[in-house]
Amino acid sequence: MSDEELLKNEKLEKMLSPHPLSFMRYQSLCIFLLIWGFLVWWMVNFSDFKNYFVNPWIAILVWGIVLLIFGIIVALITIRWSIFFMYAGVFFGGVGLMLWQNWITSIASVGVFILVYTAGMAIVGFLLVEWYRRSHKYIISNQRIIFKGGIITKEERTLRYDKISDINAKQGLLGQIFGFGTIIPISQSGFGLGSDNTFAAGGLQIGEKKAKIMGVFGGGKEVQTPRARSYYELHGVYPYKEIKKMVEEFIQGKDVIPYHQKNVEYQKEQTAFQKEQVDIQKQMRDLLKMQSGPKKNVDENIDEDDIPDDK
Amino acid sequence: MDGSIIDIMLFAPLATILGALLFWFIQLLFIQGQKYLLDKIRKKHEPFCRFTNYLGILFQTICQALGYTVTKSGISEINVNVNYGKVAPKKQKKGIFEWISNVFLFIGPFFLSAFLLLICLFFILKNGFDTTIPAHLLELKYTFGGQLIIFGAHLYEFTASFLNFLVNIDLFHPVHLGFLFLLIFLGLGIRPSYLGEKKIDKIDILYELKNIWQLIIYKPAYIVSLFLVSYSFFYLSLLLDKGFYATLFSVFGWLSIISIVALFLSYLIILFIIAIDKIEGRKKIIPYITIPISYILARVLFIYLPTDMDKSMSLMIMMLLTILVIYLLMKPKGDKFKTKKKIKRLKDKSEGEEQNE
Repeated sequence: MSDEELLKNEKLEKMLSPHPLSFMRYQSLCIFLLIWGFLVWWMVNFSDFKNYFVNPWIAILVWGIVLLIFGIIVALITIRWSIFFMYAGVFFGGVGLMLWQNWITSIASVGVFILVYTAGMAIVGFLLVEWYRRSHKYIISNQRIIFKGGIITKEERTLRYDKISDINAKQGLLGQIFGFGTIIPISQSGFGLGSDNTFAAGGLQIGEKKAKIMGVFGGGKEVQTPRARSYYELHGVYPYKEIKKMVEEFIQGKDVIPYHQKNVEYQKEQTAFQKEQVDIQKQMRDLLKMQSGPKKNVDENIDEDDIPDDK
Repeated sequence: MDGSIIDIMLFAPLATILGALLFWFIQLLFIQGQKYLLDKIRKKHEPFCRFTNYLGILFQTICQALGYTVTKSGISEINVNVNYGKVAPKKQKKGIFEWISNVFLFIGPFFLSAFLLLICLFFILKNGFDTTIPAHLLELKYTFGGQLIIFGAHLYEFTASFLNFLVNIDLFHPVHLGFLFLLIFLGLGIRPSYLGEKKIDKIDILYELKNIWQLIIYKPAYIVSLFLVSYSFFYLSLLLDKGFYATLFSVFGWLSIISIVALFLSYLIILFIIAIDKIEGRKKIIPYITIPISYILARVLFIYLPTDMDKSMSLMIMMLLTILVIYLLMKPKGDKFKTKKKIKRLKDKSEGEEQNE
């Protein structure tokens, strides 16, 4: 972050990126690809089942079906269909390449191709995840947190500490071992909150041919949960405990930010001015007392309680 | 049946118990050694130590939870993290139930991970689980010496088969590779107490033995009854003329053997880490790459030079090459020696000159 981007009186505290292992959910997809490629190669060439793979297309089909089923399961669990399409892309891309180069000649060549191709795809996947990770930048200053990210389209979010109403922090098993974790600042507008939806539906059909009664019933449930995209949260930051403490301290106002400082100074000035006014009134009252002698007080309304606290 | 009546009735049941205890004690010593090595690398490899901590705590927590489940105390809270594990029972039972829960807590972690590995080995090993009694021992099988030899024979059979498998392990076989990883991971977690967030000197072999001793003296009647159950089991075995008593304790011996092998592997890994720490800069990565590459190359080599021991030879080549690479990459310490030698030569020379003068 350049000095030009810093605001007046702003001091840069930390500049962070996610920990290399914080995107393990994506890296594990590549690990699966690697393991499955190795397993297919082993099954085709060395296992007790190798006699079943006489036809190279059987090996290709087994490889593809497992890839696609795994893709569907993961896509359903994570609610991200891009994972399924990625696996489908790997499979159809591989088949296309084999057909184009006419490599489907023997089971041995297909086995080697699957091993090398999936390993290559897994390495590409690892590199893409690393690129994605490096595109994240979190800047913590004494006034705000700036979230920057994006590979092609650059995204940025700025969050002032006085606008943070709550923070959610989580640390998975890998995070506990390697000392990183995710901190989601939830703003007063609700930014940083997501929702989990569940929906159940059922259908009923009575009668045949002529008379049909059709009914559908269902219900839904929504639970709000702290969630944000990795660009909008402090995703997998290291050292987690230190960063969490720092952010919490800024939020608690241990270090008063200039905006607050101005407000406090303004209030102090106001209080001093009011005190001055009261003093003048007191002096005037005393003068009047002296002039009128035993006469009644003119400014009886002025009470000591009217003097504001100097806090 | 040969053997005196006192030997058969009094001492014979003790033989396998003492044998199992001996191997368990060796396991304890190995655990202590692992802790010592882990403590040495702790400063530089905090995440690695945290990981081993987690495994240890996880097994300990599972054992405690198993204890509460077996005693029907129920579990109201279970929590495991890298530094701490907690299991709270629904009902705090007293007496024998509390004692059984504590047995699970203090002794379970020594055997749980080994038990998981034993189940895996049951499917992997072709033999080694043979518990038939050797023919020459049939006459003496219910004596102290006979029981001890049977126990030893069972252990030898299993250990030979297990080590033979490890020496000939095929790292291109997914099941073998998976088992090796499991053996290493679980080996790192075979210890009931763990390295805490801060170093606590009390947690050592004596601490663990003290815990177990407290358990024994807390209710000595229970331990006596445990012995009585063992003895009755032996008499039943004697009455039915079946050798299941020795087999039962042999299983404990197998568990200790598995633990010792797993702990030994974890030693090698920790020593590998210590050696790599002595390599400077980015060269550290070379030994890690050497391991798979040397193995693959060796296996490919033995395709063209077929031999019966291709897998064990490949493993040997892999280990030797890795050691050689580490040795070559390590900062040469010979300089110090050379300097000393030179100085010595210079000293001798100057002394000689003085004498001549």
